[in-house]
Amino acid sequence: MTSAHFNFNEDKPFVEVLHANDLTKRYGDEVAIANVSFSVAAGEIIGIVGPNGAGKTTLLEVLAGQIALDSGNVVWRGQALPAPRRKEAIFYMPDGIRPYQDRFAGDVLRFVSGVYERSRTVVSNVITAVELAPVLRKRVSALSKGYNRRLLLAIGLLTPQDVLLMDEPFDGFDIRQSRNIIQVLRNSAAGGRTLVLAIHQLADAERVCDRFLLLAGGKVRGIGTLQELRTQTALPEGSLEDIFLALT
Amino acid sequence: MRLLDANRLHNARLYPLLEKELAEIMSGRALWTMLLLVCPLVGYSFVQAVSLYSDASAAALQSPAAATSLSPLDGILLPTFGSFYVAVTLLFPFVAIRVLGQEKESGSLRLLVQLPYRSSTIIVMKLAAVLAAWVFVSIPALSALGVWLLLGGHLAPTETLNLVFGHVLYGLLVGSIALFATTISDNAATAAIIALAATIGSLVLDFTLAGRSGWSAWIAELSLTQTLRTFEQGLLSVGLVLGISTVICGLAALSTVWLRPGTAMRGKFTRSVLCVLMMIAALGIATQIGRSFDLSEDRRNSFPSADQQLLTTLRLPLVIIVNLVPEDPRYIDLKRNVLGKLERAVPNVSIEVAGSRQDFAGRSDDYGQIEYVYRNRSDVSRSTSPREILPLLYGLAGVQPPQAALGVDYPGYPLVTSADASLFWFFGGLPLLIAFAWWRSRHPRAVKLAAFEGGQS
Repeated sequence: MTSAHFNFNEDKPFVEVLHANDLTKRYGDEVAIANVSFSVAAGEIIGIVGPNGAGKTTLLEVLAGQIALDSGNVVWRGQALPAPRRKEAIFYMPDGIRPYQDRFAGDVLRFVSGVYERSRTVVSNVITAVELAPVLRKRVSALSKGYNRRLLLAIGLLTPQDVLLMDEPFDGFDIRQSRNIIQVLRNSAAGGRTLVLAIHQLADAERVCDRFLLLAGGKVRGIGTLQELRTQTALPEGSLEDIFLALT
Repeated sequence: MRLLDANRLHNARLYPLLEKELAEIMSGRALWTMLLLVCPLVGYSFVQAVSLYSDASAAALQSPAAATSLSPLDGILLPTFGSFYVAVTLLFPFVAIRVLGQEKESGSLRLLVQLPYRSSTIIVMKLAAVLAAWVFVSIPALSALGVWLLLGGHLAPTETLNLVFGHVLYGLLVGSIALFATTISDNAATAAIIALAATIGSLVLDFTLAGRSGWSAWIAELSLTQTLRTFEQGLLSVGLVLGISTVICGLAALSTVWLRPGTAMRGKFTRSVLCVLMMIAALGIATQIGRSFDLSEDRRNSFPSADQQLLTTLRLPLVIIVNLVPEDPRYIDLKRNVLGKLERAVPNVSIEVAGSRQDFAGRSDDYGQIEYVYRNRSDVSRSTSPREILPLLYGLAGVQPPQAALGVDYPGYPLVTSADASLFWFFGGLPLLIAFAWWRSRHPRAVKLAAFEGGQS
């Protein structure tokens, strides 16, 4: 099922690795996401964009296999990937968690790197990339929101899965910090890793993502590169915000 | 880009996970607080037990016959571990809940379930952490044994180890209940309510329904506290150990089912029902295993060895009809002195307790009689002593009573001493050491973190 039907970046062919097919999740009578379908290519950064309550987090959770789907399936390189096996291909970093708050930040990284048998050099490079060194000897509970976010990012970067899902990765960062983190994410994608980011700040999304999946009310309102979305909405100079407003 | 190797995915190194689980439980306040509370609780019980034992010993020194009734198992171990049992029942659920509750509340669990471990592996590692926590909180009780030896007291290794083993199983049982309660609860508070409902509920059941007959007796048997009774009598029952292990494994399996993410509620319920059915079947098998070992030094659960050997040769069914209500003290004596021992010695014995008080209304002549039936012959006795009942049984079986063996009788271990000085240990020294260890554990391990900061592999 590998396909190369369009390019998200002129330098890279679109080689589909992950396909979400008609995903639907309900909570009682409320439909959290409805018939969501999209594909993800190797090495791309795709942004799931939408306002609060659009279904971004639910979409990431069903992709990661953390909650059961009502219907639909996830296909990995042409083969259905049931929920219990998603972690073979996907790692999901949720928003708003403080992992092991009574432990030191360094201990948490040591645990994750120990599980995945990452070398000290790799760990050290990740720590340097996300600028986490000053707080390694601090307890996670004592970390600021920004440093906690860096810790989560570092954990995500230490995991080996080909697809990394992140919920609100820029929450807690100022503009300068966001730029640095964008560069870190781009470097990771350049290494072949696929990033799926749920972002509600459209400006951040526009800066980091190759393609966008616009989500509102649990439904896909548009999908494509910024240029493709501009064409679709007939807004040749439109920002992502203009496009989102036009489509929802 | 390929999927992670499936073998690697489910068989990642266990050491980091185990180390994390141990560090998690050690970094929580619940464990240290419980440890600090257990020190005075166990210490006071121990000192009181030694005081009473010493008083009894002073009287026994005048009479060797009285000395034979002085067993450290009853006089020292049971009171000391009894207070520890209370602490485990009331406080250990809070410690065990932490192994999962903290991760659930902080969101760390959502990361943990994505790591390359099976859900069952995660639960087993958490149970291992619970076991380690039990060992940790048992330090005051184990140190009491050390103090007893220092005072010149006697401990029989097998009965002591048997009792400790019983408490290990009880600790694991409480821990597995707490773990399961945490997996099905949204937060630690709800989990605590569920776990305490089981442990304190058992305690209440044990008090309120003790000595009752019929359904009340059956319900009382379900009390967790009952699991310790056999060990406290110096018995190691294979069926009981298998039964407790079955419940621990069953609860661990249920925890695994409810821990697994991405499974619909219906699927979890279906798997849970299967687990429960398998657990019930395994428990049914365990209850059929009557094999047990008398590990008490005074052999309180066995007849003299010559009688024991002869009784094992009585292969035909022995039926005993007891016309006593279970709450009658004579029945309790009979059960302890004769019936329990016969059940262990005779291969095929069945005991019928003939009804409740209402059944004997107007039939006062029958009440108190115990009928023994063997080889189509029967005899009746009102005695609760093996000295009268064993000859009766040998008569029914047509065998000669054995010669009384010239063995060494249990001498008893009277000791006149005082453990008052040990209060300094339980109320001062040990708590201070624990507080120091707690304070020390709050500091980062500089060497291991420095390795990351150095950036060299």
